[in-house]
Amino acid sequence: MSDRRLRVPAADLATVVADLLAGGATYRMLVGTDDRAVGGEGLAVEVALSTHDGPLRVRAELPHTDASYAALTPLVPAAHWDEREAADLLGLRPVGHPDPRRLVLHETFPDGFHPLRKDVPAGERPPVADGRWEAFTAHGEGIYQLPVGPIHAGVIEPGHFRFSAVGERVLHLDARLFFTHRGLEKLAEGRPFTEALPLVERACGVCTVTHALAYSQAVETLTGTEVPERARWARVLLAELERVYNHVGDLGNICAGMGFNPGSSRLGALKERLLQVNDALTGHRYLQAMIVPGGLRRDLAAGRVAALPVELDAISQELAAAIRVVLRSDGAVSRLSRTGTVSQATVRMLGGLGVTAKAVGIEADLRRDEPYAAYGELDVSVDTAHAGDVAARFHVRAQEAHDSLRLAREVASRLPGGAWLGPVGGAPEAGAVAMAGAEGPRGASWIWLRAGENGTVDRVRLRSASFADWPIVASAVPGDLVPDFPLINKSFELCYACTDR
Amino acid sequence: MWRDLRDRLLRPLIRGPLTARHPAVAPSLPAAARGLPVVDPALCDASGACVMACPTRAITVTEQAWRLDLGRCVFCAACADACPQGAIALTGRVELAVRERTAAVVSTPITGGGS
Repeated sequence: MSDRRLRVPAADLATVVADLLAGGATYRMLVGTDDRAVGGEGLAVEVALSTHDGPLRVRAELPHTDASYAALTPLVPAAHWDEREAADLLGLRPVGHPDPRRLVLHETFPDGFHPLRKDVPAGERPPVADGRWEAFTAHGEGIYQLPVGPIHAGVIEPGHFRFSAVGERVLHLDARLFFTHRGLEKLAEGRPFTEALPLVERACGVCTVTHALAYSQAVETLTGTEVPERARWARVLLAELERVYNHVGDLGNICAGMGFNPGSSRLGALKERLLQVNDALTGHRYLQAMIVPGGLRRDLAAGRVAALPVELDAISQELAAAIRVVLRSDGAVSRLSRTGTVSQATVRMLGGLGVTAKAVGIEADLRRDEPYAAYGELDVSVDTAHAGDVAARFHVRAQEAHDSLRLAREVASRLPGGAWLGPVGGAPEAGAVAMAGAEGPRGASWIWLRAGENGTVDRVRLRSASFADWPIVASAVPGDLVPDFPLINKSFELCYACTDR
Repeated sequence: MWRDLRDRLLRPLIRGPLTARHPAVAPSLPAAARGLPVVDPALCDASGACVMACPTRAITVTEQAWRLDLGRCVFCAACADACPQGAIALTGRVELAVRERTAAVVSTPITGGGS
């Protein structure tokens, strides 16, 4: 994969990118960088795209004394959160951004503190500032504010949701996330590629295969590393097992979100069965520490692979039976339908990915569109629905879970033998950049990785599918009732931790 | 109707509870399970390969002891893979909760320099 780069003046970045997108390119991420450790003068803002001729990076260099550039968001709304993040972490100034509030660093961080700048040491603890978050709210007679979170009555992650409601009907929702920002990207800087891997892999607990795979692929591109056959295929198996347990768990959570216990208990038990399959195969229920640059860290448990097709077939049948229980209940179906609807136009504009995009009829899947690992040799079906409501997302997940089980069975029955780990190539030149993506349970997660000296990380950015989809959740709620929110939120089932990093 | 009866009533009755009787019965873990890393003091030659391999810097090695901070360990088994002596193994011990932070640091005396 060749690295194509286009340098443009800061004032032209937005229009150049908008033209490329109009010409058929796909937006992947915007990343802010501090170039001073790799021979640069100051900061830079870079937009990564996928084009018909492969990946393309459009970058504008900015002096660190004045990091202003014309904001992309007015022309490319999908860059909305990316730009706010780069403003917080690097002090970039997207001029003309419609929502210049803080995103990643809450208002308790002092102005002018930008941790991803190279002159800020990792672990720096700035004094606590007393700024306050200002929610976007609706005002008028009879409209009241309903604050929910960040602590919730359940084992879920922290997020604050501010509803503006009239009676039970939601007029507007503003969400405040990033309560779990750990500074993982800063922590990765300066570490050897292998040492940064556990940080990326553990950005969250449920997309570990996806993130380790995207990161390993980026390292492999940078170092010119070949992955052995067995590892290429085993990576598909692990990625599909991750997709299945997530989807089955999420389908159960949707049932929990509407109080439909026959569905949530049965699907919950099925998820547990899948986690035990993972455990037996890899020694880890959530498949951690399996994928490394060069292949796999360890081989799949001897003898377990042969038993997989039969086991997964039984799980597939139980899944079908559990889904039947839900869909045979008129009450459940009517609750799922026409709740939490988003339009295709909204999802396209905000750059939605994964189930969110498929549920409005957008056929996008990296496994088919830009195949990696062994996906090019497999028949990946991209399942879509059209209504864009909770029911549509339920159907897409159920269908995709079945397809994943089919793929996993196929891979298990034709997994090639041989080595599972090959030698990793030499350290790349400092400043070399690679991008790699992997289609996870929530959509495509992307890694942007720049090498420093001696095979270390100069800058890594993980843009998870959850990061891309969160702004869409807020637009799915208005018009529905406040008590619909848990159900709507669960139908997206986005991750907070890998959004925050 | 009959299918529902079979699936939702009879089958669970015959199968019994899906949950394990923990802690009354010790969990049955697969052979590949990655629990507490332990070092074989007879094999460890204090080479420090595990210290270098550990992505979270959880291990410290002196001439006398191999120390592992379980508060940092992520059970990735990089130490076991890196040890030239094959002295480290991840065991099936997963009940590792402690009451004090200091108790999460486990120290194994080693002879130092092997035998």
